[in-house]
Amino acid sequence: MVLGLVKGLGITLKNMTKPRVTYRYPDEPLKMPDRFRGIQYLDPEKCIVCNQCARICPTDCIQLTGKKNPDPEKKGKVLDTFDINFEICILCDLCTEVCPTEAIVMTNNYELAVYSRDELFKDIRWLHENNQNIRSENSTNLIKKPGGKTT
Amino acid sequence: MSHEEQNEKELLKEEKELQPEPSADAKTEKKEGEENNPVKAEPGESDAPVTAKPGLPPKSSVPRAPRAAGAGKARPAAGARPRPAAKKAEKKPEEPSPLQPQLDRFLRLLKDRLGEGAVKEAYINRAGSHIPTLVVDKEHWLSLAQLLKEEESFQFDYLRLLSGVDYETHMEVVYQFYSFAHGHQIAVRVKTGRDEAKVPSVSHLWKAADWNEREAYDLLGIHFENHPNLRRILMPDDWVGHPLRKDYEPLDKEV
Amino acid sequence: MLRTEEMLLNVGPQHPSTHGVLRLIVKIDGEMIVDAEPVIGYLHRGTEKLAEDLNYTQIIPYTDRMDYLSAMTNNYAIVHATEQLMGLEIPERAEYLRVIVMELNRIASHLVWMGTYLLDVGAMSPFLYAFRDREEILNLFNELCGARITYNYMRVGGVKWDAPPGWIEKVGTFVEYMKKQMRDYHALITGNEIFISRTKGVGVYSKELAIQYGLSGANLRVTGIDWDLRKKQPYSIYSRFEFDVPTGKTGDLYDKYLCRMNEVVESLKIIEQAVNQFPEGGSIMGKVPRVLRVPEGEIYVGIESPRGELGCHIVSKGKDKPWRLKFRRPSFYNLQILPVLLKGENISNLVAILGGIDIVLGEVDC
Repeated sequence: MVLGLVKGLGITLKNMTKPRVTYRYPDEPLKMPDRFRGIQYLDPEKCIVCNQCARICPTDCIQLTGKKNPDPEKKGKVLDTFDINFEICILCDLCTEVCPTEAIVMTNNYELAVYSRDELFKDIRWLHENNQNIRSENSTNLIKKPGGKTT
Repeated sequence: MSHEEQNEKELLKEEKELQPEPSADAKTEKKEGEENNPVKAEPGESDAPVTAKPGLPPKSSVPRAPRAAGAGKARPAAGARPRPAAKKAEKKPEEPSPLQPQLDRFLRLLKDRLGEGAVKEAYINRAGSHIPTLVVDKEHWLSLAQLLKEEESFQFDYLRLLSGVDYETHMEVVYQFYSFAHGHQIAVRVKTGRDEAKVPSVSHLWKAADWNEREAYDLLGIHFENHPNLRRILMPDDWVGHPLRKDYEPLDKEV
Repeated sequence: MLRTEEMLLNVGPQHPSTHGVLRLIVKIDGEMIVDAEPVIGYLHRGTEKLAEDLNYTQIIPYTDRMDYLSAMTNNYAIVHATEQLMGLEIPERAEYLRVIVMELNRIASHLVWMGTYLLDVGAMSPFLYAFRDREEILNLFNELCGARITYNYMRVGGVKWDAPPGWIEKVGTFVEYMKKQMRDYHALITGNEIFISRTKGVGVYSKELAIQYGLSGANLRVTGIDWDLRKKQPYSIYSRFEFDVPTGKTGDLYDKYLCRMNEVVESLKIIEQAVNQFPEGGSIMGKVPRVLRVPEGEIYVGIESPRGELGCHIVSKGKDKPWRLKFRRPSFYNLQILPVLLKGENISNLVAILGGIDIVLGEVDC
C-alpha cells in the first residue's frame, strides 16, 4: 500500500546529495551564452541609414532618421536619430539579422527594469553606450565587397 | 527562379544606392493597385472560367508584373489556379494527381445522392498536398455535410479545420475533414455573400464545430444558422465590428 | 433528506490551476458539478489579424507567443506551410536541426505539463525535478538561438543558426541523462498510491466522443487511436526515424499521464537517431528569394505539436503578406470537451481533469 510512497521518498533522498542547481541570481549575475539576444548596441558610424531594421521590425519599435553626410566628399547618409522603444521591443533579433553593416548588434545584457515607462525609450546615445558583452555573430546579411566586408 | 534573380538585382542596387527597396516595393504596390481598380469595378461574378486563365501561369518565366496582375484581380480569380479551366490546362503538362480518382469517386457519389449542381466546383489542391476540394454554395452545404458525415463510403467523422476567409467579394468558410474509417480527407469551401454572411451551422454533426463557428462569427461576422449558442468567444461581448473583416477599422490605429 | 441548492462558482481567470487566464463558470450542487462553462479570450492578441499586415518572416516571432511552452513547433507550423506553398527545398542539415529542436521542445513541454499537473493533484517535488530537467533543454536552446522561450529560430527555407561547436554532442549527453531521469520519474510518480487514486478511472471518455470533439494529441491517443501526424502524414524528415506512437487503453487521466511520459521516451529515441545521422557540414538555408512572395493559393498543413494537431491555413494572393492566416490551435479544440467531462464530477476533480487536457491559454486565445 505504501510501497510507492517509500520508493518516491528514496528518490528524494537520492537528490539530497546532488549538487545545487539553483542560481543566486540577483546577487550573482547570470552568464548568458554568446548568442543570447539582449539589448541592442548601436554603432552610428557604421549605419548607412538603409532603414531595413525599421522595416523588418515586427512591432515597429525602431524609429530612425538620417541626414546628408556632412562630408561633401562622401555620398550617402549618416544617422541622425535612432530610437528603440523597449516597451514593445521583443528582442526578436530580426533587426540585427538584416543589418548589412552590423551597425546594430545584440549584446548579452538583459536587465531592463526601470521605475518609469518613459525610461524604456532608448535613444542613439544610450544604445551606443551599451557597449559591453557584444555578441560575436550577428548579421546574416553583410554586404560583401571585393576587399572583404565594409565597415 | 526568376524571382531570385530579380531579388539579387535588387540587392545589388541596394548596395549602390542603399535605399532602393522601399521605392521598388512602392512601385509594385502601385502597379498592383492600378490593376486592382478595374477588376474591382466588375462585380464578383467574374467567376467565369475564362477569367482564370490570365492568373494561371505562375510558373512561367514572366516576372512579377503580370503575376501581380493575377494577384490583383479581385478574389474570384484568386481561386484561379483551381478553376475548371485552370485544371484542364494544368493537366496537360502535369501528371494527373494521384488523388484524382478519389475525387472522381466522391463526385459520382455526390451526384447520385444530391443531384446535379450541388457541388459548384471540385478540384485537387496541388499546393495543399493534393487534397480533394469541393466548392459549394451555402444552400447546399447542410445536405452535403449530412452526407459527408453519414454516408457509408464517406464517414468524414473528424473535423480538422474550420476557418473563415474574407475575400472582399464574398466570404468563405473552409472545412477540412478526415475519416478515421477510410483514412481519406476532403476540404470543403462554402461560399456565402458578404453583406449577409450566413452559413448553416454543422455543430450538431461535428461538436468540434461549435467553438469554431463562434470564433468565425466573432472575428469575421459569419452567422451560423441554427447554432445553439452563437455568441462572441474571443472578443469582449460588447465589441463593435468583426476584426478579421477586410473593411474593419480599428478603434485606435496605434495599437 | 437535506434540501440542496445549486450555486455558481467562479474559477479564474486568475487561478493557479487554470494554467493561465481561463475562467470557468461552474454550477455546483453541493460538491457535484452540474454544469461548467469555460470563458476564454482573456489572452486574445489578434495574432491572425496582425499577421495580415506582416510579412512571412515577421510573423515567426509572433507564433512564439501562441503556444509558449513549445515555440519551436509553432515556428515550424508557419514556415512549413509557407515552404509548401512556395515549393521550397530545405537543406538536410536544417531539417535535422528542426527535428532535434522540435523534439527537445516536446520533451520540455511535457515536463512542464507533468510538473504542473502533479502540482494540481497535490504533489510538490515532481514539479521541481521536472523544471530542473527542463532547464537543461532551455539552456541548450539558449546556446543555440539566444532565447529560452521565444526562440524565433526557424526561417522560411531553413533555420537561423547552425549548431554551435559541441552542441550536438551536448544534445546527445542530454538524451542519456534524460533516459536515466525517466526511471526516477517512474519511481517517484507512476507507482504512487495517492496519484493513482486521484487519476485512475477519472475523466474517462470514449473514442467516438474524442473524434466528435476534434481532439488531437495525447487527448485523442489516450482513447486508443494512434493518430500522430508524424506517422500518419509525415512531414519534414520524420519518416526516417523509428519510433512508436504510445496510445492508452482506458482513456482515464492516469493513461494520459503514461501516454505523455512514453511520448517523452519516443522523442528521446528520435533525437538520438537524429544526432547519430546528423549530417557533417552543409547549408542551413535553402535557396530563398530575398523578398518572400508566396504564390497565389491556399494551403492547410497540420503538424504534431505536444498538444495535438497544430495546423496552419494560409490563403495567399501572391503578395509578401498572407491574405488570411489561420492557426488551428490544438488547445482550442481540446478545451471544448471540458464541460462534457466535468458534468456530474466531484468538484475536487475539476483541476485534475482540466490539467489532464493540457491547455496553453496563449494558444487557446491566440
